[in-house]
Amino acid sequence: MFNRPRLLLKSLAILVGILAVGCSSDPFAGKVQIRYMAWGNPEQMALEERLCDEFNQKNPDVHVSFLKVPAAEYGLKMMLMLASHSAPDVMRVDHYNFPRLVKKGYFHDLTDLAAQDPTFHREDFFPQAIQECLYNDKLYGLNVLFGGVLIYYNKSMFREAGLEDPAELAKNGNWTWERFRDSAMRMSQKGPDGRYTRFGFGAPSSGSTFPVLACAIWGYGGDMLDPKLQHAVFDQPGSVKAFQMLADFRWKDHCSPTQAQGENSLYTFESGKLGMVFDFMGMTPRYRKVIHKFDWDVCPVPSGPFGHTTLCKGNQLVMDAETKHPKEAWRFERFITSQSTEQELYVDLRRCFPTRKAMAYSKAYLQTSKPPFNNWAFVDAIEHSRPLPINDRWSEWTNAFNSEIDNLIAGRERDAGVVLKRAKQKVDKVLADEEGF
Amino acid sequence: MATSHRKRMVDQPGFWGFLFICPWLIGFLCFTAGPMLTSFWLSFHKYDLVSIQNVGVENYRRLFTEDPLFWKALKNTIFYALVSVPLGIIGSLSIALLLNQNVRGQKLFRVCFYLPSLVPAVASALVWQWVFNSDNGILNTMLRMVGITGPQWLQDERATPWAFALMSLWGVGGGRMVIFLAGLQNISDSYYEAAKIDGASPWRCFRCVTMPLLSPVMFFNLILGVIGAFQIFTSAYVITGGGPNHASLYYALYLFQNAFEYFKFGKASAMAWVLFCILLCLTLIQFWTSKRWVYYEGGDK
Repeated sequence: MFNRPRLLLKSLAILVGILAVGCSSDPFAGKVQIRYMAWGNPEQMALEERLCDEFNQKNPDVHVSFLKVPAAEYGLKMMLMLASHSAPDVMRVDHYNFPRLVKKGYFHDLTDLAAQDPTFHREDFFPQAIQECLYNDKLYGLNVLFGGVLIYYNKSMFREAGLEDPAELAKNGNWTWERFRDSAMRMSQKGPDGRYTRFGFGAPSSGSTFPVLACAIWGYGGDMLDPKLQHAVFDQPGSVKAFQMLADFRWKDHCSPTQAQGENSLYTFESGKLGMVFDFMGMTPRYRKVIHKFDWDVCPVPSGPFGHTTLCKGNQLVMDAETKHPKEAWRFERFITSQSTEQELYVDLRRCFPTRKAMAYSKAYLQTSKPPFNNWAFVDAIEHSRPLPINDRWSEWTNAFNSEIDNLIAGRERDAGVVLKRAKQKVDKVLADEEGF
Repeated sequence: MATSHRKRMVDQPGFWGFLFICPWLIGFLCFTAGPMLTSFWLSFHKYDLVSIQNVGVENYRRLFTEDPLFWKALKNTIFYALVSVPLGIIGSLSIALLLNQNVRGQKLFRVCFYLPSLVPAVASALVWQWVFNSDNGILNTMLRMVGITGPQWLQDERATPWAFALMSLWGVGGGRMVIFLAGLQNISDSYYEAAKIDGASPWRCFRCVTMPLLSPVMFFNLILGVIGAFQIFTSAYVITGGGPNHASLYYALYLFQNAFEYFKFGKASAMAWVLFCILLCLTLIQFWTSKRWVYYEGGDK
């Protein structure tokens, strides 16, 4: 049988050996270590992992380790890491969270690093992409996964209904909200049991139409907050008109699924049950992959009396204010936002929109062999785009706002003017409230 | 000297006891008592993870006098508890009574009724979302068959509180049912035999034998049920996020939003302590009334 003490000794020796080997051969000794944190779907994570590897190969003096965090936990985890002074050197942050975090002084000011970098020229980028990264006129991030909202439309459905192509209408300036409503109503169809088999259009999520349909508000000359983002202006006639129209699309015109109908993805664009869908540019790879049964393309959002303006939003690549290696971290940030990376991610794979103007206007971007073919519509969207009114209390005031318009969306209340007046009062109260209580 | 001192320690009656519960004790002090004390301290401060400032009882004052959502959340939660606790106890007891019958396949039935409680809360919440779909959901489809137009369960603020109360039925086959079942099996058959000889009907048997003997178990389940109902969170967080129009904004959900979405840790801590006091009061009231209806076999205690 086994000799117990001897066995114990042997295993102890092996353990010590393993520990010794593990400690002595640090593969990254002498290198500057950078930690990078991001979230995303598996494809996005694989891409970023590859970019990190590539960077490590090209930069023998630096080692970047990639920390992948599930999307659902990301915001909270980042917040706690920042608060406990253990944040990674470089992080990707969703713009919804950027204003409130940058205000707390968590991020490194990149203005000087950018000024000292001879390859960084602000004028190369779309101004909206830079604007999102500014705080008190200083640069605190580089924009990634940038893009705007536009319309994906089912070309086959338009053709069957005998409707004019919306992209062609947009080129001539005739793609208006009236035209949009008419097209959507003519594409909506009921089955023999009285239920709708398809709708003219839908917003991407089953829930609130806000903020994806901010383009309606802007198109009618309305707005959400004042320019300083300090109080609500939903009671402006333009905003009321836009919200009334959006509610009527569901409850009067029946050309868009109601919240209950749209739940559980019963009507999706990819299943051919929606004629049009408002969504971000990043949906392109998914639609390319799953849609084979009908022709589809993209077109700008409809124009109102005040023209057409859509929203744009990105993520920011930020640096921890306490990083010990800002220069190396900057090099890494520049690498994953470099021209060649943007070429691959946004021009070839169409994950989002390039932040560089030259790239968006290039032939490679505008002419593709796969749908969507109206690539000018992406460029048009960014040219006519505005960032959302995201301030440091975005989550709190949108929560108050959404709860107030819930009844409008659910069809229990029909008068947008009354609802928005109440919403304004509530949001103003949130914004005026002393912070932290 | 040292050895004799040591010997004395070892000989202390509590030494081994404390030694063995040491892991739990350390865990409790570090991860339960510590955070509780911290949250008590935080509830008198304004804290947003960056700066901290003593504000006295301002957090409590604001909660009670200036925050309509606090009252709304409390009201929602009390409604939920009032509906779901009796519903849950009646449901669990009914299933336990059925599963206590001597029929073939008894074990299989027990497994089947217990299964739903093994499903992760998030997954079951998503299933319920389907059930309550007002257009295509199974519930409204069935109502339509008998000629009733069901409400928009999750979009209409009048229906949503009831939807969540109904959803709580998912848990009736879980731990509470098992405790009832164990309680039922503890009741000696001789009581029933005696009652039968006296000509008692099954209902009389249940009312005069089962209920009194089951009352301690009922009491236990009632206390845990009330505490559990006040802590409802996952289903509301997953399905509605508090909507529509805050109809499903429950206390724990609002507390979570304040802490981890708005970073108002002082306010959230104050809310936690208010909840603690409410639950403490409710439990004490239940203990006080229990003297009248809880019967302990073989003694006053």
